[in-house]
Amino acid sequence: MEKIIALGAGIAVLGALGAGIGIGIATGKATEAVARQPEADGKITKTLILGCALAEATAIYCFVVAVMIIMMLK
Amino acid sequence: MEEIAKELVEQLNCETVFTIPVFGGIPVKESVVVSWIIMAVILLICFILSRNLKIEHISRRQAIAELVVTKLDSLVESMIGEEGRRYVPYLVTVLIYIGFSNISGLFGFKSPTKDLNVTVALSAMSIILIEFAGIYQHGFRKWLHKFTEPVWIVTPINILEVFTRPLSLCMRLFGNVIGAFVIMELLKMLVPVILPTVFSMYFDIFDGLLQAYVFVFLTSLYIKEAVE
Repeated sequence: MEKIIALGAGIAVLGALGAGIGIGIATGKATEAVARQPEADGKITKTLILGCALAEATAIYCFVVAVMIIMMLK
Repeated sequence: MEEIAKELVEQLNCETVFTIPVFGGIPVKESVVVSWIIMAVILLICFILSRNLKIEHISRRQAIAELVVTKLDSLVESMIGEEGRRYVPYLVTVLIYIGFSNISGLFGFKSPTKDLNVTVALSAMSIILIEFAGIYQHGFRKWLHKFTEPVWIVTPINILEVFTRPLSLCMRLFGNVIGAFVIMELLKMLVPVILPTVFSMYFDIFDGLLQAYVFVFLTSLYIKEAVE
């Protein structure tokens, strides 16, 4: 039983893949934008951090679900 | 593994500190008490910064106070726009409160935002304010009509949004705080020296303040949408 619970938690965290891809794309685009327009640096950084924080939320949901699986299903 | 899980559960549970003996006993949770402490600290800071304000020949203390207030005001106002200006003080208050409570873990308190009840209350206040802003700006009929825009077929989604918005707001804040906390605890068990300090800078200070900012940003974005 315990092994299956651990497996379930592991599968739940797979959703974090999306957040990783999202943040990667966002950072790549931000780098491009800074290279094109270095004077808009501040604005781009602000937007990037915000976007990353929002994209990260999906990973956080996965994490919460995984923790809940481990803690609740005992 | 068992010990780690047990300690984590113990840390995550919010204990009742004392009970108010009216109406059959109202339990007061730890998060409420820590909130009171944070309120006291914020009040004290406000009191110290706002004494003896002058128009000319300002002291250094007053300069700091003015800088902080104008910076925070313009920060929120740039997000919410001209129309929603009257909601700026509330949002700045929430920003300061969440910021302080996320950092309070550094000083050995159990941060209130780690309790799901606190984040649910915060997001409930946010959604009430959002809907109130819409009704105040447009009147009740126009506000109802907004649910059918841009086409009538999206009405169920628009109604559903009233519930999913606070849900995602509160789960985001709670999940981030709890996630940072669990990672820090695991790290402290694994490597007790030096390394936790570096990660603490990110997880406790940067991430805590960022989440306070994101919470306020999203609330002001929704308000801006509601009053447009």
